[in-house]
Amino acid sequence: MDDSVADVSEHLDSSDNEEFTPGKVLQDIENAWLNEKFAPEILPHQSELVDCMLEQISHMEENMKKLKKGDIRLAIHKMEIDRIRFVIKSYLRTRLEKIEQYTIHILSEDDKKSPEESYLTPGERKFAKEYLANIETLFRTVALQHMPANFQAFEVDKLTVKPNLNSHVFLRVNKPVQGIIVPGTTNDEIDLTAGAQRLIQYQPIASLVKEGAVQLI
Amino acid sequence: MSLCHSYMPNYFSIDDILSSQERVSCKIEVKLPGLGYLDVSSESPDLQSGTKLDLPHWLAYPMNSRTHPFVSIEVPKIYKEAYREILTADACAVALNKWSCYFYEFGIHLAQYEHSDCNLIQDLLLQAFKSRFRLVMDWAHNTGTDPTVGLQLPILERKLFLTGRKSRCLLISWLKEGGGSIETSEMVANHKKRKRAELEDENT
Amino acid sequence: MDPNEVEFLGEKQLVTIIPSFTFNQIHLISGSIGPFRAGLPTQVPIWLAVNLKQQQKCRIVGQEWMDAKLLIDVKDEEKTSKFFTKMPSDHYMDETLMLLGVAPEDIPQAEEIRTIVKDLWDIRMSKLRTSVDAFMKSDSAFAKLDHLTPMEINCIRPSLPHALDQRDRIQTCGSRPRDSQDTQRS
Repeated sequence: MDDSVADVSEHLDSSDNEEFTPGKVLQDIENAWLNEKFAPEILPHQSELVDCMLEQISHMEENMKKLKKGDIRLAIHKMEIDRIRFVIKSYLRTRLEKIEQYTIHILSEDDKKSPEESYLTPGERKFAKEYLANIETLFRTVALQHMPANFQAFEVDKLTVKPNLNSHVFLRVNKPVQGIIVPGTTNDEIDLTAGAQRLIQYQPIASLVKEGAVQLI
Repeated sequence: MSLCHSYMPNYFSIDDILSSQERVSCKIEVKLPGLGYLDVSSESPDLQSGTKLDLPHWLAYPMNSRTHPFVSIEVPKIYKEAYREILTADACAVALNKWSCYFYEFGIHLAQYEHSDCNLIQDLLLQAFKSRFRLVMDWAHNTGTDPTVGLQLPILERKLFLTGRKSRCLLISWLKEGGGSIETSEMVANHKKRKRAELEDENT
Repeated sequence: MDPNEVEFLGEKQLVTIIPSFTFNQIHLISGSIGPFRAGLPTQVPIWLAVNLKQQQKCRIVGQEWMDAKLLIDVKDEEKTSKFFTKMPSDHYMDETLMLLGVAPEDIPQAEEIRTIVKDLWDIRMSKLRTSVDAFMKSDSAFAKLDHLTPMEINCIRPSLPHALDQRDRIQTCGSRPRDSQDTQRS
C-alpha cells in the first residue's frame, strides 16, 4: 500500500517541472488557508491544489481499505486525513463567508475578469449568484414591495458592501521587496527583507500576497 | 472561529444607523412649507424661519449640506471647548458613555458639516481614542473584572473591548487546558440535525 | 484565529520519540516517517507523537532547547533586551504545553522547564502590551514584529488591527468628499 502512495508522488514529480510533492501541495494549501483567513478581500481560488489534495486523500482511503483491521497505519493515516480535511474545509468555508458578506461586490469585480482570471471557482460563482437572487427575493417580499412606488428599487449601488482594503494585517516576508509606499500621514517608503514580520495595511501589499511574495500570518 | 470583521463601510451597519439618529441643534434658515409638524410647539402648518429645534443627523445633514442651506447647526456641547479640555486633561477618567454612547460615530458624522467648530472634532476624537486605548485593552485583558464594565464604554470602544475579551478568554482556557481540540462548528452540527429532522418528517 | 488553530500549526513541528514497537516506514501525504525500531529514536510530527504516547507506544524525547539552563539564558536575554529576541522555537509555548502535558515523566526537569517558559511568556507579553500601546499613540502606519511567535501575535489579534482600523477611520473622516445623498456610509 505504501508503494502505491510513493507511485502517486512520483507521478506528480514527472508531470510538472517544479518540485510538486504531495507535501508541498499540502503546505501550499495551508498557506492559502492562512492568507484567505486574514485577507479582507477574497483571493484567487486555489482549486487545483484543493482538487489535487482531495484526490490524494481518496487514493489513500482506497488503499486503507486493503489494510487489516488492527494495523497501526489505519489510525495514523486517518488522523492525517482528518487534519488535511480540516484545513480544506476551513479554507472553503472562509471563502463562502466572504462571498455571503460581499456578494454584489465580488460578482461585479468578477464580471470584469476573463474566465481564466476569475477569483471564484464555477461552483462558488453559482453559489454567489443564487445567494444574491435569494437576498433580492427576501428584500422584495419582506420590505420593498410594501414601500411607496419611488422606493421599491433594489438599489445595487447603495447595498454593495465592500471589504475594507485598508485594514491591518500581519505578514511574513518570503521574497525581499523594495519601495512599498505605506499610506498614512507620513507616506513612508519601506523595504521588506526576507523573513521579516510586519503589521501593515493590506492595500499596499495586496498584490504581493497574491504573488506569494509575502505570507499573511 | 468564523471571520472576525474589522470596520468597513456598511450600508447595513446598525451602529451607523443608530448613530445617525443622534440629534443636532438646528436653526431653520428659510420658511419650510408643510413641515410645521416637526415643531411640536408650533401651530402653523409651515416651519417658520428662525425656529430652533433638534433634528436627527440623517435629516439635518442633507438640509445643511446644500449651496443654500435650509438649516444651520450648532455643534453639541460635548464636542466643544469645555468638554474638550476635560478630555485633554485625562481622557481615561471620563465616562464617555454618559456623554454619548455614540461619541465617536456621531463625532465622525459631525466632522462632515461645514462649520468652524467641526474642524476640531476630528483631532478631539483621535486624541481621545489613542489615550483611552490602553484602558480599553487593560479592561479586555483582565478577565478578573466584571464583564459588564464594558457598558461604561461608548459603542466603538465597547466593540473593541468585547472582541479583545473574547479572544483573551479563549487564550486563558487554552493555557489552562494545555491544548484542546478543534470542535465541530455549531452550524455544521445543527445542519446535520436539521437534515435528519427533515428526513423524519418526510417519512412520517 | 483560535489558540487551538495556532496549536494545530505547531503540531506539525517534528519531535524525537523512542518507539516501543517496530514497523517499516510509513508514507504519509505530508512526507515519510520512520522506520520504527523499538528503542531507537526517530522523528515524527508532534500530533503523531502525542497520539502514540497516549497509546503508550513510545517515549517522548524533549526538544533540544528544552533544557533548563539554556532556557534561563534565553529568559535573561529577553529581560535585558529592549526588543524581542529570537525564540528557540516558533512554537515554544504550544510545544511546551503539549509535550510536557502528555509526557512530563519522559522529559527531565519538566516542572522547572514549564516554570521558566511561563516566565518567558509573561516577560514577552508584558513587553508586547507596552509596545502595542506605544505604537497606537505614535502615528506610525506599520510595525516591525520580528521574532514574535504566532501564538504571541495571536494574542493581539483582533484587538490591535481592529483598533488601528478605527484609528484610520477617525483620521480620514474629515477629509472625505461630502455627498448629500449618502448618510449611511462612514
